[in-house]
Amino acid sequence: MAGKGIVITGEGIVSAIGNDKKSVRTAIGGSRTGIGEMRYLQSEHHELPVGEVKLSDDEMKRLLGIPADRTVSRTTLLGIMAVREALRQSEVEKGASRRIILISGTTVAGMDVTEKNFGKMLAAAGDKQESCDLSWLGHHDCGSCTEDIAHYFGIFDDFTTTSTACSSAANAIILGADMLKAGDADIVVAGGTEALSRFHLDGFNSLMILDHDICRPFDSSRNGLNLGEGAAYVVMEREDEARERGATIDAWLTGYGNACDAYHQTASSPEDTGAQMAMREALAMAGMKSADIQWVHAHGTGTQNNDSSEVVAIDRVFGDTTPVVTSTKGFTGHTTSASGAIAAVISILAMHDGFVPVSLGAGNPISKAIPTAQSPIKTELQNVMVNSFGFGGNDSSLILSASDNGCQREEFTGNIGVEEVTRVENNSVENLKDIRRYVSAMEARRMGKLLKSALMTSLQALETAAVSPDAIVTATAHGSLEYSERLLTAMATGDAFKPTYFMQSTHNTTGSTIAIHLKCHGYNTTISQGRQSMQWALYQAELLIRSGRCKTVLVGCHDEMAPLFAKFMSMAGFAPEPEVASTAIVLRAVKK
Amino acid sequence: MEELMEELKREIISVLNLEEMTPADIDDDAPLFGQGLGLDSIDALELIVLMEKKYGIRLASASEGKDIFKSIRTMAEYVSKNRKK
Repeated sequence: MAGKGIVITGEGIVSAIGNDKKSVRTAIGGSRTGIGEMRYLQSEHHELPVGEVKLSDDEMKRLLGIPADRTVSRTTLLGIMAVREALRQSEVEKGASRRIILISGTTVAGMDVTEKNFGKMLAAAGDKQESCDLSWLGHHDCGSCTEDIAHYFGIFDDFTTTSTACSSAANAIILGADMLKAGDADIVVAGGTEALSRFHLDGFNSLMILDHDICRPFDSSRNGLNLGEGAAYVVMEREDEARERGATIDAWLTGYGNACDAYHQTASSPEDTGAQMAMREALAMAGMKSADIQWVHAHGTGTQNNDSSEVVAIDRVFGDTTPVVTSTKGFTGHTTSASGAIAAVISILAMHDGFVPVSLGAGNPISKAIPTAQSPIKTELQNVMVNSFGFGGNDSSLILSASDNGCQREEFTGNIGVEEVTRVENNSVENLKDIRRYVSAMEARRMGKLLKSALMTSLQALETAAVSPDAIVTATAHGSLEYSERLLTAMATGDAFKPTYFMQSTHNTTGSTIAIHLKCHGYNTTISQGRQSMQWALYQAELLIRSGRCKTVLVGCHDEMAPLFAKFMSMAGFAPEPEVASTAIVLRAVKK
Repeated sequence: MEELMEELKREIISVLNLEEMTPADIDDDAPLFGQGLGLDSIDALELIVLMEKKYGIRLASASEGKDIFKSIRTMAEYVSKNRKK
């Protein structure tokens, strides 16, 4: 593998502890948190500490040369800031012979723009709605956020969006690395972005997992997470070509793993089976033993559930060779969809300068692997594992290395083809009552149209194919639009924010619900890229098969419409979309 | 108390979307979680929302709900003592 590895030649970051790599490095070295009282987010929940980026939208627009009156979501602005830094360092320029791809993880996307406008629309009854500005509709979806970032730079040949809640950015990096290995891209800029919004602050609050003090990951007194915001991206390419163009190599991505805990929508299983599988898969790909890792940069959110199960999972994988384990959520807050990339960039900074950041807030840690040091621990870092876990048990791990160990597993040998086994479609709300053939009344009661249709068509496709999938790739343009609409309406009218709706509003709910139903622990990811969602999901499923990692993949594209969104979209001149639309496909490997 | 218990059953069926159930299906003293009705941790969060919205009772954490949400009777007793509306 020497010379063939995936290398990182540029990084960009913006977070509560700094607006670029240099200031983030200073804050991490000085063990200073960026979490504090809300300054920019307009929320009634001022009692909740947050990790805000210390820039207003207008300040970011000025820095980026974007006109102040143009509608751009905060998530997009943060994304552009971080991509710009990464591209400048790596000196990536548009080249006729090079295919440059942007892969961005997000869940919130333009929700900050939507929530500002949705209430206005509701307040303007009848005819007055016609005179409202409807441009916000074009910024709502995850895919539009990535599109806006890509268009700002004008160098990307294509772009897509991963949306697996808090592991979105890690899964963007994984998809990017696979595209490079397969030869389908020459340079990939991958990471994630997420801005704070009232919607997801109220949502996490309704799940009662927000600490009212500054979070204390891995501490015995921990009492929840603090939401943060930010963005981070890495520039990835194949080593040979990076050297050829004279790029400076900052790190190697030597291994990665993705697995599904397949246990619960918002909680990890006690031993976090999914996390264990993701960490083991990453080690296996890198050709490493657990003793080769010097630092586990943990997901460590500060919730009771995540931290206790992550500690158990790390212990199961590393045992006697457990290295130092820390979380940097005490610095940045939990930046949700961006967190995997933010952790990766911080890891590269730490690796470069030879230290492990303190685990802020862990004064009385729940495991002896977590240090109580008050200042950074000086140590040489050869290999760092970065954990990134999401709702629905979408667990991913990355291994970043200071040099290539030459032991990586060979993949994409070129002798595996892909064929479609079955395809099932549903476009009827009437059919959804058939879901009761597959699940109990207790299971079905929470499911919206989208989930019912997705689960039903998926199970029918698998039944016909008579297989259990070893991976699930799901596509959706809007996600659970109906429940999101009900929550937006509740926010506008002062009604209670229902946790049941919030936990389904993340785009990966569909893929993880299918995994939970099938107890499928295999690779699990979700793509949200507007009308290109299905095309990208099929492509990623084919990549998984061509890599040799998976033999049978369930692919689905599932979307629904909601009454108010349908009305507003019609007013804005969008083409009408069906109330529910599902396609489930089973793909399998064939010898070429 | 009987009236409050009946009201709670109707509210629970509504907020938890127990479509195929009627108040008569829920026993006053049967456990709501685990065995019995079979509710889970997300339902507990919904019940916390219900307590605040309908009765003005704020619970600080999900764990506080454990004793209160044991059965319809324990819920009714807690509501009647602590309700603000």
